[in-house]
Amino acid sequence: MSEEEQAYEPKIVAFLCKWCSSAGSDLAGVSRIQYPANATPITVPCSGSISPLYILSAFNKGADGVLLSGCHIGDCHYIEGNYLARRKIYLIKELLEMVGVEPDRFRMSWVSAAEGAKYAQVVKDFVADLKPLGPQNKLKADRT
Amino acid sequence: MIDVQSIRDAARDLLAKGEVRAVIGYRRGSRGMLAEPVTITDPEQADELVWDATCFHNLALYLVEDRKALAHAQRTPNLPIAIVAKGCDARAIVVLMQEHYFKREDVYIIGVSCEGGGVLVEYKLARLLNGAQALSAVIDGAELVVTTLAGEVRLPASEVMADRCLECREPFPKEHNVVFGEDQTSRQLVAPFTALARFEALSEADRWAYWCRQFERCIRCFACRSVCPMCYCDECVVDSITFPVAPETTAEEKANRIRWIERSAVRSENITYHMTRAMHLAGRCIDCGECERVCPVNIPLRLLNNKMEREAREHFGYEPGASIGGPSLVASFRDDDPGQFIR
Repeated sequence: MSEEEQAYEPKIVAFLCKWCSSAGSDLAGVSRIQYPANATPITVPCSGSISPLYILSAFNKGADGVLLSGCHIGDCHYIEGNYLARRKIYLIKELLEMVGVEPDRFRMSWVSAAEGAKYAQVVKDFVADLKPLGPQNKLKADRT
Repeated sequence: MIDVQSIRDAARDLLAKGEVRAVIGYRRGSRGMLAEPVTITDPEQADELVWDATCFHNLALYLVEDRKALAHAQRTPNLPIAIVAKGCDARAIVVLMQEHYFKREDVYIIGVSCEGGGVLVEYKLARLLNGAQALSAVIDGAELVVTTLAGEVRLPASEVMADRCLECREPFPKEHNVVFGEDQTSRQLVAPFTALARFEALSEADRWAYWCRQFERCIRCFACRSVCPMCYCDECVVDSITFPVAPETTAEEKANRIRWIERSAVRSENITYHMTRAMHLAGRCIDCGECERVCPVNIPLRLLNNKMEREAREHFGYEPGASIGGPSLVASFRDDDPGQFIR
């Protein structure tokens, strides 16, 4: 591995549901769990509030990976938000793959407020999977 | 084979009896054999109507236009508007009604079955005619009857028909007030999603290279959006010039409006635009293929929409344009929706 590759740190945009994953990431922090600092968290009201455009836009603005995390099925604060998210996100995931974006660049997870360790593991795995892919230039805006 | 006269008679009757305020249909255009959309309000104009293999347009678009004009004029008509609808047009009308764009009683659907045929593609026809100019083209069973200056030519319809028509699963307008032609829903010319399956067999790198080639060409003329009956938003989220500006809008408000993507026709923005459009059409696109037909740079847009349509069908059991009352694709869910991809 060249020096340049070793220095590469993927940028991750993490959309976290405020009722669960956001608190989960908080728990990972207060529990002093060590995990990579690559993910920039953006708290959203619900995983179901995510428009596919947020994900495309994150890639467009230069994210190397996008993580979306919400409450486990059945635990949604708004009863059915995560069910709706599951459907929508499945479609955008398929579309990204069809266009030829590496499937590992987008990830979705269910992390509850009590699962700080799981959140840390999700980010750790994601970073490990993103590193070999290198910077994301496919959807990144070309404003030259 | 459909007798054009029966469509004309139906239109004339409706207008003469005052049952509808206008009929949207096709007439002979000014460009050779091609048909063009027309709205007629006078019973005497009914004889202008035509029906042949060049009736490409999805007329549902003009219902949307009509609705917008009425809203602009703040007028509520007491008569419905009639529309000549193929199988795909009728499905588009169903989706619009499902979304409460207008009510069932606002529209009088004159259904016309494509039977074993569909619409042709100009370049396919031109190739087979070896430069001879076609004056008219009508589908008769499995054959396309083309009149040229040199006389009549009969060609196998499947060789000149549009891909979308070959793959069509429902050439019969199920939702209708009156219908002409036979129901040949079970016809199978080419298996649905054939082009998509062929494309998906490519590797990831090849797929990316393919789309790069396509989207580098896109000039962002927004013809695909303009021609689509489902793209009826006044304000388009990916097109900043459609954001409404009133005299009291301040420069700051204009500057701070979220621009998800730029309007510049560069690859990254083009891809994001087309993917956004595909997502917005998921569960709504009824595969009329108009976006692909009007694209001036021939981007195979149907592939993207087909992909969404097939996923919806295979994984969510959802068929766009199947019922007026049902829930829409992304506003509903089932307990067994696929979720294996979620960690």
